[in-house]
Amino acid sequence: MRAPSTGLLAGGVIALTAIVLVLVGAPHDRPSPPPRAPSATGVPASSVGARGVRLTSTAIELPADEAIFPEGPRSDLVNANCTACHSASMALDQPRLSAEQWRATVTKMREVYKAPVRAADVDAIVQYLVGMPGQSGGAPSGSAQDPAPNVPPSRS
Amino acid sequence: MNMLDARMAAETSRRRLLAAGVLGAVGAAVPAIAQRTVDLHLPGGNAERTLTSAFPGKGSMILQRTRPPLLETPMEVFDRSIFTPNDRFFVRWHWADIPTAVDVETFRLRVGGHVTRPLSIGLAQLLRLPRVEIPAVNQCSGNSRGLFQPRVAGAQWGHGAMGNAKWLGVRLRDILDLAGVKAGAVQVRFGALDRPLTPDGPDFAKSLDIDHARDGEVMIAFGMNGEQLPMLNGFPIRLVVPGWYSTYWIKALNSIQVLPHADDHYWMAKAYKIPATPRANVAPGSKDFPTIPINRMIPRSWMTSLPDGQVVAWEPSIPVGGIAMGGDCGMAKVDVSSDGGRTWYRTALGPDEGRYGFRRWDGRVPLRRGTNAIMTRCWNTRGVAQPATPIWNPGGYMRGNIETTHVVAA
Repeated sequence: MRAPSTGLLAGGVIALTAIVLVLVGAPHDRPSPPPRAPSATGVPASSVGARGVRLTSTAIELPADEAIFPEGPRSDLVNANCTACHSASMALDQPRLSAEQWRATVTKMREVYKAPVRAADVDAIVQYLVGMPGQSGGAPSGSAQDPAPNVPPSRS
Repeated sequence: MNMLDARMAAETSRRRLLAAGVLGAVGAAVPAIAQRTVDLHLPGGNAERTLTSAFPGKGSMILQRTRPPLLETPMEVFDRSIFTPNDRFFVRWHWADIPTAVDVETFRLRVGGHVTRPLSIGLAQLLRLPRVEIPAVNQCSGNSRGLFQPRVAGAQWGHGAMGNAKWLGVRLRDILDLAGVKAGAVQVRFGALDRPLTPDGPDFAKSLDIDHARDGEVMIAFGMNGEQLPMLNGFPIRLVVPGWYSTYWIKALNSIQVLPHADDHYWMAKAYKIPATPRANVAPGSKDFPTIPINRMIPRSWMTSLPDGQVVAWEPSIPVGGIAMGGDCGMAKVDVSSDGGRTWYRTALGPDEGRYGFRRWDGRVPLRRGTNAIMTRCWNTRGVAQPATPIWNPGGYMRGNIETTHVVAA
């Protein structure tokens, strides 16, 4: 972290008082204006600092995710509904889940997260998920117990 | 025995094997492959993941999901230092509308609800408050979920949904005192810049009991390992709740609401709930059981000096090392076994950098030709030891049993 300016150090002296004084109306949920991104035009990003710590405005660009669900029965429906909110990999990387488990997941997306999935489409989506690569073969994976051995009392 | 010994021994073994042409056949240690994918060894398969460096502020990470990002820290990162570098620190977001730009001059943290003086605090003001620095492990509630058997739905993490950092910031108690908590306060809810993608979807927010919020340890961090937080880890400020699972460590914190009642919103009332049973354990397949919100972490330990499945040249004994954590208190002792838990050997602990952080351990175990099941077991300062058998619950939360790493002596 960069060194503070003397001005900021001086400001630190009246810290607590200052904070209490700066009451800005009724708080609201969302902060307002879109932040200025650190520009590529040579204008330095804005920053604030005090007592040896400086924070600098930051903007990032997230990588795009163009991966879609593999071709299959009603894959169009699955792509349209599921990838609106999350990567296809979230589903594709799951262990083998039963139809009941997949239905519970789709139901949670609709009822809890309010995904605009039509009730009439749920069956087809569940059917695709159960049969997609990595899932076919049907039975849920995994045994009931780790291969962890019995452990006698420690000798240490 | 120290960390350097363990690393040098591992390197020596690898070089000998490379010279002998043994390693290539196994594949696990071929650098060209290791750059691109990693096998998380999840039971039942579907365990291969891509390594990516495409995320801003992040080096090579295990890609669990691009949108919203789920990035896991490769285990070898934990072998290099008990502090996890910011650019290798795991990432987890719930909704895809996450903050991608923050102006430090206009950002405000709003404090309201059951208080006498609602506040809107700028970052320049926050930086002038009395400071505290705490090293602490930030671990996802579902860390190691992919190892549950039977498997459960959710992010299929290996062990890398965790990291240890030096968090620099201000005490939450000081902020609450400035706002003046009114009598009758019950919980404090923390909200952030991320937003639901659906109009009626539940905005991610978590709450702590008022006494916990005011315990002087819970803090608002603006510094992470001596730098500002990476955007993906919650820039400009995040909540730090030492000893508690990461779900409470709200990233990009911008709202603190004091509540005169318990938080009944989705993320506290329905999500991140664990069985109200010892170790959060229920019989596989159980559904109807009393639950409570997930809370304190438990002791865990890992061997990190060699990856699972590593082939090494046989010798009578090898140095091993790794990390351990006490959970909600300090870490007291780590034992290691190379015969599947029949014989245990004491290890030497590295410096204590804070009871909520990772602690390095190093030891030496005998090696047999063939596959050696190397297990680590730790005790925390409350005397709680890692159990041998894994738990199960439908959320895949709170795994903490003794972990096993297989090393093949050729």
